[in-house]
Amino acid sequence: MSRFLLRRLGWMILTIWVVYTVSFFLMRVVPGGPFDSEKNVAEAIKRNIEARYQLDRPLYEQYCSHLWQTIQLDFGPSYKLEDYTVNEVLAQGFPISASLGIFAMVFAITLGVTAGLVSAVSRDSFYDFSFMVMATLGIAVPNFVLASLAIVLLVFNWQIFPAAGWGELRQVVLPALCLGAPFAGYIARLTRTGMLEVLGLDYIRTAYAKGLSHQRVVLRHGLRGALLPVVSYLGPATAGILTGSLVLEQIFALPGMGSHFIEAATQRDYTLAMGVVLVYTFLLFVMNTLVDISYGVIDPRVEVE
Amino acid sequence: MNATTRRVFPYLMLLLILAALGWAVSFGTLPKADFTFNNGTEIQTVDPAKATGSPEGRIINALFEGLLRNLPETEASDSHQVIPLEPTTGGVAESYQISDDGKVYTFKLRSSARWSNGDPMTADDFVWSWQRMLHPETGSEYSYQLYYVVNAEEYNLAKVQVGDRVEVELKDRSDPLQAFPRGTIKRGILKKITKPQESSSKKDSDKMASKEQWIYQVEVKPITNDQVDWDAAGELQTFSQQPPSGATVDHTCHHVLIDFDSSVEIRSIDAQTLVIKLKKPTPYFKQLLAFYPLYPVNRKCVEEFGAPNWTKPENIVTNGPYCLEFRRIRDRLRLTKNPYYWDAKNVSLETIDALAITSYTTSLNMYINGQLDWSPTMPNTIMDLLRKRKDFVTAPFMAIYFYRINVERPPLDKKLVRQALNLAINKQLICDQITAAGQQPARSFVPPQLSGYSGQQCGPHDVARARQLLAEAGYPNGKGFPKIQILYNTSDSHQEIAEFIQQEWKENLGIEIELRNLEWATFLDTLNQRDYSVSRSGWIGDYPDPNTFLDMFLTGGANNQTNWSNSAYDELIEAAKSESDASKRMEILQQAEGILMSELPIIPIYFYVSTNLVNPRVKGFSGNIQDVHPLHILRVE
Repeated sequence: MSRFLLRRLGWMILTIWVVYTVSFFLMRVVPGGPFDSEKNVAEAIKRNIEARYQLDRPLYEQYCSHLWQTIQLDFGPSYKLEDYTVNEVLAQGFPISASLGIFAMVFAITLGVTAGLVSAVSRDSFYDFSFMVMATLGIAVPNFVLASLAIVLLVFNWQIFPAAGWGELRQVVLPALCLGAPFAGYIARLTRTGMLEVLGLDYIRTAYAKGLSHQRVVLRHGLRGALLPVVSYLGPATAGILTGSLVLEQIFALPGMGSHFIEAATQRDYTLAMGVVLVYTFLLFVMNTLVDISYGVIDPRVEVE
Repeated sequence: MNATTRRVFPYLMLLLILAALGWAVSFGTLPKADFTFNNGTEIQTVDPAKATGSPEGRIINALFEGLLRNLPETEASDSHQVIPLEPTTGGVAESYQISDDGKVYTFKLRSSARWSNGDPMTADDFVWSWQRMLHPETGSEYSYQLYYVVNAEEYNLAKVQVGDRVEVELKDRSDPLQAFPRGTIKRGILKKITKPQESSSKKDSDKMASKEQWIYQVEVKPITNDQVDWDAAGELQTFSQQPPSGATVDHTCHHVLIDFDSSVEIRSIDAQTLVIKLKKPTPYFKQLLAFYPLYPVNRKCVEEFGAPNWTKPENIVTNGPYCLEFRRIRDRLRLTKNPYYWDAKNVSLETIDALAITSYTTSLNMYINGQLDWSPTMPNTIMDLLRKRKDFVTAPFMAIYFYRINVERPPLDKKLVRQALNLAINKQLICDQITAAGQQPARSFVPPQLSGYSGQQCGPHDVARARQLLAEAGYPNGKGFPKIQILYNTSDSHQEIAEFIQQEWKENLGIEIELRNLEWATFLDTLNQRDYSVSRSGWIGDYPDPNTFLDMFLTGGANNQTNWSNSAYDELIEAAKSESDASKRMEILQQAEGILMSELPIIPIYFYVSTNLVNPRVKGFSGNIQDVHPLHILRVE
């Protein structure tokens, strides 16, 4: 176990370094710099500005000094949000994205597992059919379409939720639903398939033979096996939630990491873009590792090595 | 993995999920502000010396206050009125005098003006703030706004000559990365500059590096009674930013600049009197004083906390009608009324929220839903519907949409071709069918609403004449005319306009056009590299005077980008700058625009209008050509 973790840590450091290096040079190769604007300033003034951020130094020097800073977890000042350091921006944006992600994830798991379970147990019934149609729709409809629909219906037609913004619980419901919907669909399908497979296995028959109730067999013996594919899906789902939130944060005006990422990329805010990329990389790595570990806990056949 | 862990695990996970959910639902409550508006985007900074955009302007106008303040001449009875803004004494200055030759401005500050920490404001606050703005390390983009002041440009660009009074800052700052508070300053007369061997490289960065190695010999003057004794004999010392290897100097230094106190003509006579001397009479200097880059900042605050920490809500000291209560990045910032503001009794709104919503549709949704009282942005696609609303407030805006032409690319180097291209576009149709918010087709470069100025026009829509000119240029019916490209930054409305013009040029002139769209930063880079034939452009005036539009096209100007150069034009613009008679000056500028409109390195397309959605409960809102709406004069019912 600890050897597994150590090896993962090594890989993570390597991955982050590669991501860092590729992003660093890629960003600077793309035409346009952070201080270009429609109003050009005199060359001398522009040099003053670039000197403020040491952009006038040779590239390798910038790379080394910025890498050294980054290793000390200091991402430097943001170029476009001049009153903040990247660390401050991330510290404000991360909790917002995290709480949106948690809502979406909890919603997706609760709805997906329940729907999948019901579908599997009452196979080929009306419930099964309608849940699976909904799941397919949820997967197929892009989240921005879903968001527009939700706004038309739930904001303007019935006036239940505010149109956008951040700060109260009411404001997080719509974006979380839209963000979680496709994952709920996937999870429902995975649970259903897993459940159907498990329900045909010998140990389930044994459980019934022991005289256990239907409910107990399904929930205690069946579900555990059926959830394995769901758990392994949570890794990619996290990635999906992260990227999905880019679009939804824009539509619902949420000040999370996604909005910072998009703005940083279009405005050539090198340091902020780098900060967000590295946090995303780290997050994905950690989530995947957690999934692998929990896999080993749930499935006795798997030994984490 | 032992069995106990395995049994406990699901419950542990459940607990973890519940805890996470519990954390996620814990929201603080925020009382609603008196007035909420969408500021369009997260502001870059609240530092007046460094900010550049109009969202920044809205906030800085509320937080800070300059010598003069742009206010509507009369109070609006309803928000549909267009009332010009004038630089008035509604700011820190109570009164001012301008000398007969138009070069010396004497300001009397009001004694009731205070900082938000209760300290009185003095003339020295302005002197110091402007010195900070001009300091090379501040990197202010708007520093050229002060170039009209004697020696300000020299100070900003660190231009020094032998014989100048100079100030040398030694490398003993408490924090080397903060330009203020400054290290030890030595003052004296520059006697000699020793430059190392010029490097053969022509690259600017190398030239800058070689400037760092210059050795300055300065006769440092003694200080008696806190004053530099310029007449006394001094002591010769040598300074360099980075002495070349082998050379020794007395001190390494940060900068050698022209001496601010004795050479840059911004002086405080006493606590309440400020005198500014300009190089040339500049009729629009009052406008610049009422524009946010020249607003003062609090020295104590900046020097204590340093940049950017002084701008944090808990640290910042301001002098405007509002204080900064908090900022949430890319969400909102809250302003609360400043009790120390000299005119606080006439400030009606107690709290204001400025949201940073970038999506036009989201902004409109929030406005319609009652979450916003004012939205300056809205989706262009449904403009014809929005225009019919009673709360739609519009006014002419001093901004122009135009196409730049790269005059070095044949056949665009021919004047006749450029004129033909202009004549072949039906601009009225663009305004009616594409932009649809009441924009006016443009035949001049300077917007028509600037007082005392009537622009010179280029030809009207005339297809027959366009064909004739193109034939004269050697391309009858477009025969032999190479394919040219229209470059624009990715946006639906730019694309529609480009497609329309592509169609017009093809049908009317028989020439093939290709469209090329680029993402914003790449677009700017391509434009700056001059790697285009025809390019979409826009320009918003800095101040309501033709000069802010016309001096763009000086030879080699940073915003010219068309490779166009005309010595008669350059001379006229320069002549206008030193003309003190207002109507004569306007005439000269008109002549210059006449040249521009006949040479056509640019094709004017339309003049913008400002578009705002304003809740009818808001009073005191009115339209103006700057599209500036001071928050402190608004009221709600």
